[in-house]
Amino acid sequence: MASLTLDKVRKAFGPVEVLKEINLAIEDGEFLVLVGPSGCGKSTLLNLIAGLESSTDGEIRIGDRVINDVHPKDRNIAMVFQSYALYPNMTVRKNITFGLEIRGVSAQERDKAVADVAKLLQIEALLDRKPSQLSGGQRQRVAMGRALVRDPDIFLFDEPLSNLDAKLRVDMRTEIKKLHQRLGSTIVYVTHDQIEAMTLASRIAVMKDGILQQFDTPQNIYERPNNMFVAGFIGSPSMNFVNATLIDNNGQLAVSIEREGNPITLPLFEAPESYKAYAGKKVVFGIRPEALTHKRTGSDEPGSQYVNFDSKVEVIEPTGADTMTVIEIAGKEIVARVRPDRAPTPGESMTFSADMSQISLFDPDTELRI
Amino acid sequence: MADLQTYSHDAGWKNTVLRGLLYLVLILFAAYYLFPLIVMVSTSLKSLDEIREGSLISLPRVVTFDAWNYAWNEACVGVECTGIKIYFWNSVKMAIPAVLISTFLGAINGYALTKWRFKGANIVFALLLFGCFIPFQVVLLPMSQVLGKLGLASSTPGLVMVHVVYGLCFTTLFFRNYYVSIPDELVKAATIDGAGFFTIFWRIILPISTPIIVVSVIWQFTQIWNDFLFGASFASGENAPMTVALNNIVNTTTGVKQYNVDMAAALLTGLPTLLVYVLAGKYFVRGLTAGSVKG
Ligand SMILES: Nc1ncnc2c1ncn2[C@@H]1O[C@H](COP(=O)(O)OP(=O)(O)OP(=O)(O)O)[C@@H](O)[C@H]1O
Ligand SMILES: [Mg+2]
Repeated sequence: MASLTLDKVRKAFGPVEVLKEINLAIEDGEFLVLVGPSGCGKSTLLNLIAGLESSTDGEIRIGDRVINDVHPKDRNIAMVFQSYALYPNMTVRKNITFGLEIRGVSAQERDKAVADVAKLLQIEALLDRKPSQLSGGQRQRVAMGRALVRDPDIFLFDEPLSNLDAKLRVDMRTEIKKLHQRLGSTIVYVTHDQIEAMTLASRIAVMKDGILQQFDTPQNIYERPNNMFVAGFIGSPSMNFVNATLIDNNGQLAVSIEREGNPITLPLFEAPESYKAYAGKKVVFGIRPEALTHKRTGSDEPGSQYVNFDSKVEVIEPTGADTMTVIEIAGKEIVARVRPDRAPTPGESMTFSADMSQISLFDPDTELRI
Repeated sequence: MADLQTYSHDAGWKNTVLRGLLYLVLILFAAYYLFPLIVMVSTSLKSLDEIREGSLISLPRVVTFDAWNYAWNEACVGVECTGIKIYFWNSVKMAIPAVLISTFLGAINGYALTKWRFKGANIVFALLLFGCFIPFQVVLLPMSQVLGKLGLASSTPGLVMVHVVYGLCFTTLFFRNYYVSIPDELVKAATIDGAGFFTIFWRIILPISTPIIVVSVIWQFTQIWNDFLFGASFASGENAPMTVALNNIVNTTTGVKQYNVDMAAALLTGLPTLLVYVLAGKYFVRGLTAGSVKG
């Protein structure tokens, strides 16, 4: 177990810059999740840490050791691949012990190690099968076993759950989390599933086009996204964005949204300092669906964080726990999360409450958080 | 309902006719290829007298293996009358090492070209591919000079080398195309596990290469065993491979033309490749299509 530091790491394949100045540092025992859309460079970053690719520039350290020029096998890392990459010609037992054998661990110790890992992952019954005789979930476990048996400083996971069906994915997610809590190991985990990222991570690094967008705890990323990309990427359904103007409403800042006939004015009761510079200017108003609900009790009282407004309902999408209610404001479709018993019928007009303590404002040009 | 039945009845009838036509064509083709074989086999089992009396296509009245025995043990190749057997062994001594070496080198090449993409790998592959299209005749003269310089002229090792060099392009192509479909992550995983170039090759890549090894062996064996031009050019006299010896037997101008011996010798020459197909043929088809379906 060890800390991991990436210092101004860049990677180019020929003329194409795939990673641009990545700075990341995690402590011993942290669970770092790299998320981002397909092709943003997550796997490349993982390969750099593993040593399967060499960085064009920058420094990678495990603990205090610079590992840029260290061979993958000497980095004391273990990796689980998206395709699992089990050796098809070897039994599960052989798959798990291959690395130990190459490293010259005695047969006795290997047997013990494989027994321990098999017990931990509950794959004892599968040890003498070939990978082709396993189900997807079982293969995934074996791939984990191959990594666990080595007791490395850092585990690297490259989308280990993306080949599993939805139910199994949720189960395995929980198991990986348990495993991390039990072993306290340092993990770097790649996924493009933002729910996986939120549930597993101690810290999340959101990437786009090879640029690190934000590196923070899941809660901070969710509540205070750095920019519109992060805001839109994390959270499901994703954050609503509406073009608006920040106005001075009798000495109090308010978000004003143009709407045919009657504009919506949403006063901000505890506006941060940073908003002042944008008074009178255009902004992008961001609000998550759960912060936009049916009318709340107490929302009529003065000074409430909830602000009410009326809107016609376009579409409803029941999900069971909540009903996603689509309304249209300023030409944009906006999703509100409404309790099923308060769900409207399409076409009806209804009063919504916006929780103004949970909103984000962005600069329309730079798309950065204000 | 009634309509449907008429329809299906009609279709069934058409189907039968089409199927019948198909079989007819197939049988014709099969006969076209089988007929010469039947003539050869039956002629080789006749005595010379019977051949002289009867017609070409009549079956032997008395089956005798004398011609086979004679071809194997006594037939005259040039001035030596030792039968075709020593040349059979020449061919074995040439084909087996050449097949194994070229297959092995092709496997290593394919592995290096796909899994360890070094700088210029694509150019190397393009050049190798180009080698597949060089006709035999083009390399005859330069090759004979090289063999002469190496002191391998007119010897079996020399012939082995020629076949290895010439076959390398094909075997590399086979293995490269097969290994392209094997995920790179397998090699990455093994690298992290601590295995190097050759360990990965021996322990992981080669064990999953059976289908393509079979393809390569069959292809190379057929090519090398059946080769006449290289054999005739680079190995003369008692080092000649079987194909060259067969030609000498058949073309002997002295004495009576022993058709039964010629046929027996030709069949003996063709037998090993036939055997390889029978033993490994089903893997051959499997191997040829292996790349297309991910397993
Ligand atoms: N060997 C390579 N040569 C050239 N470009 C490459 C190479 N490997 C990756 N790339 C490019 O680098 C970018 C990042 O690839 P990478 O595999 O890291 O994406 P990713 O974030 O893991 O995506 P996914 O979620 O689809 O796995 C892509 O645009 C890809 O085309
Ligand atoms: Mg990837």
